[in-house]
Amino acid sequence: MNSMKGYRIGDVTKLLGISADTLRYYEKIGLLPAVNRTASGIRDYLKRDLSRLRFIQRAQKMKFSLKEIAELLKMREDPQHARDEVRLLTRSKLTEIEENLDDLQHLRNELQLLLNLCTASADGCPIIDSIDNAKR
Amino acid sequence: MSGVEVVVAPVKVEIFSSPSCDRCRNVLAVLKTVARELGPKHIEWREVNVLDELDYAVELGVLSMPAIAIDGELVFGSHPSAGEFREALESRLKAHDGARRSNE
Repeated sequence: MNSMKGYRIGDVTKLLGISADTLRYYEKIGLLPAVNRTASGIRDYLKRDLSRLRFIQRAQKMKFSLKEIAELLKMREDPQHARDEVRLLTRSKLTEIEENLDDLQHLRNELQLLLNLCTASADGCPIIDSIDNAKR
Repeated sequence: MSGVEVVVAPVKVEIFSSPSCDRCRNVLAVLKTVARELGPKHIEWREVNVLDELDYAVELGVLSMPAIAIDGELVFGSHPSAGEFREALESRLKAHDGARRSNE
């Protein structure tokens, strides 16, 4: 890491697990605004760039498309002046996330219950039985 | 008036366990005795095998066994003492009786 200013492309790759090619691509298609350069022309990522990249990563985990992510980034950049379509998209993605959270919570509790059942049992783990039954 | 039986809606007790849960068996026997002492007319007893009704168990918030729901609400996430269980049932029966009186 450049201790004086920001982060070199290699630092960002290590920190976020995003390849250098992907970082350049994000910049090329505008997901990331033009990254600062040092006097010698080396990309110099700032903390706000990293924050934006983490947002992109999270949105990708939610299977949002790059086009949708670009729209959401506009909202992130300037929520008060975002267009109505961007606001609508943001609301719909929020609903999607909340539905996913409900499903995840249910799944988490189900797995927790099965694991606890496992520890209460002397003759094996019912998770296996449950999975076997589901396959039938 | 003699000869008229007062009908109070029974308290619905659901015990969540599984046949493979060893610690559940003893607890179940103790709790069943408490319920029997309060009278079968007053207690509607149901044993739920969580593996058969996983969705229902998770929806109620059951995370370990044995767990106890009273009137469709998870009251004991882990097993209570016989005294705590009796107290919970008696207080629920009182509430049922109160509801019946207010409807008279």
